Amino acid sequence: MAGEIILGYDGLEGSKVALASATGVAAAYGCPLIIVFGYEPNPLGGEVKDLRDAVRAVGDKLLAEAEEAVHAINPNVTVIRELVGDRPAEALLRAGDEHDALAIVIGSADHGPLRGALLGSVTYQVVHRSTRPVLVVPVPDKD
Amino acid sequence: MAAATVDNEAGSKGLKSGALGLASATVVGVASTAPGYSLAAGLGFITVAVGVRSPAIMWISFIPMACIAAAFFYLNRADPDCGTNFTWVSRAIGPKSGWMGGWSSIIADLVIMPSLALIAAKYTFLIFGFQSQADSVWWTLVLGIIFILGMTWICVVGIELSASTQMGMLVTELVVLVMFSVWAFVKVFGDKIKPFTDNADPKNIVHYAAMHPAISWLKPSGFGGISGLTAGVLGAVFLYWGWDTAVSVNEECEDSNRTPGLAAVLSTFILVGIYVIVAIAAQAIAGPDFLTNHSDDVLAATGKLVFGTTGFGWLANKLLIIAVLSSAAASCQTTILPAARTALSMASHRALPKRYAEIDRQHLTPATSSWVFGIFSCAWFAGLVMISRASGGDVLGWSVLSVGLMISYYYGQTGIACAIYYRKYLFKSAKNFFLVGLLPLVGGIALGAIFVKSLWDMTNPDYADGTAWLGMSPVLWIGLSAFLGGIPIMFWWQTRDRTFFDRGRDPIDSRPPPEGGEPLPPLVGVRIEG
Repeated sequence: MAGEIILGYDGLEGSKVALASATGVAAAYGCPLIIVFGYEPNPLGGEVKDLRDAVRAVGDKLLAEAEEAVHAINPNVTVIRELVGDRPAEALLRAGDEHDALAIVIGSADHGPLRGALLGSVTYQVVHRSTRPVLVVPVPDKD
Repeated sequence: MAAATVDNEAGSKGLKSGALGLASATVVGVASTAPGYSLAAGLGFITVAVGVRSPAIMWISFIPMACIAAAFFYLNRADPDCGTNFTWVSRAIGPKSGWMGGWSSIIADLVIMPSLALIAAKYTFLIFGFQSQADSVWWTLVLGIIFILGMTWICVVGIELSASTQMGMLVTELVVLVMFSVWAFVKVFGDKIKPFTDNADPKNIVHYAAMHPAISWLKPSGFGGISGLTAGVLGAVFLYWGWDTAVSVNEECEDSNRTPGLAAVLSTFILVGIYVIVAIAAQAIAGPDFLTNHSDDVLAATGKLVFGTTGFGWLANKLLIIAVLSSAAASCQTTILPAARTALSMASHRALPKRYAEIDRQHLTPATSSWVFGIFSCAWFAGLVMISRASGGDVLGWSVLSVGLMISYYYGQTGIACAIYYRKYLFKSAKNFFLVGLLPLVGGIALGAIFVKSLWDMTNPDYADGTAWLGMSPVLWIGLSAFLGGIPIMFWWQTRDRTFFDRGRDPIDSRPPPEGGEPLPPLVGVRIEG
């Protein structure tokens, strides 16, 4: 199937705002919403399997929450959850290509400016590398 | 409405298979060992134990390490990397032994943190030319604690250096160490280093002179008896400690049956090469006494003699400092990460309270166990410095000596566990017999013997320059209390939750062959909540 909307979700403020927009877009286009959670533990510490299991458990829970949140906004949107064992940006890009998605929706501020500069923010990576449309949803000011 | 969960995984178990090649896996192994820091912190103590023969100790200790590497490799096939030795020993020997194995690896990590932080703090001051702060106990304690907390924060936030950054840092470190050695040989053979006298302490005036390297430095004899040999090997075990991470990334490697094992072996070979060369070079510069008298930072002290302090030498010294500093920083990360993850593994198999298995939902790291570990490290660091001040001894240095006990315990235990676990398969082929049975067993027995002999030798106050606490060397007290401290905790936890302790070892028929088989069910049903 092609033409889904992909949503990057990590449970942070930015992705919650993006979730609301993505639900609206999916409803408007009448297409399923694929919620993606990407994770990759740092292998340097060894003992990766347990950490990975633990992170997957967290991811499962986050995705369940996200699905609930989508249905609270609009119960008519079909939700597909995807837990991807890869870095978040790679996970989103790959899901986009695999499903031949209509667009990728992502929040603008997934972490502070320092960490963004050090790591390269997921949002920047997706915006610059995606071959399909990306919808970046800004987080409203706190005050 | 229809809702479905698609588990989109590359590879069978959700691992990104084929992500690491041989070079990257070897980088992981060598970087975890941190040769620059290990030499700076450990070479002096080995020289204290065996004098002029420290280069020989380097290659001798390599042999049991290679044997244990085989054990890690094969046990990892049966149950890849959850808690490494903790899991394997629980499966092979029994839960209590496994628990103590996990405990000693966490405690070894904890005990080494102050030394790591001290070196990092000291070298940070040196890089900016603050010599008096670098020599001050309090300044290095303050900066060291900031350093530990900062590194813990980095581990919790999950900032990871990319493989290429790691590679860059490691190459710099190795190049600087080689440059240091070559420069030292040029100066020593050109007789450019004049004999000199250290009269800073009027009661203890020492004369130093350069020595030409001799083949006899590599001879496996003249260590001052078995006690000298075991003390030397115990120190060298500490230097090599860390290569096992190369095996831990097993499933991420391309060709995972071959690459990780090869990477571990390759890392130990790179390490033995570097260690032998640097040990010879450092000793040639001003003799073994200079190393023993500067045992807390061998490289900074000898670096000044090799490179001088002006012009190019100034730059080269800074490079040496940067190499050790980045090595200590990398090692700090590769100490907090596995300690926190062993705790996570133990908690998720109900061998420790559940909260140590908590995953931070924002950063997806084992935040609780990392912070607890970081804070305990700071407390341990501060405690050691206080006791050092009160007793006037080098308590921090002694604690480094005692780490070898913990490491040799859990490495040795893993070697023996490998032979026990696979005993059904050992006589199926010659390869199994040698690689899965004999080598791990020999390595395990060697390290076990070192453990026992060192314990015995540590009862003698001479082990710590004649300092005695209740008639025995402080190294013994520090090592034993840290190690045995686990036993009451283990029994306390057993009264709270018996699940892990009641599982027993794996039935012999359920054990997969060493060449790999069906994935094993988890040690204890995993119950992790976010």
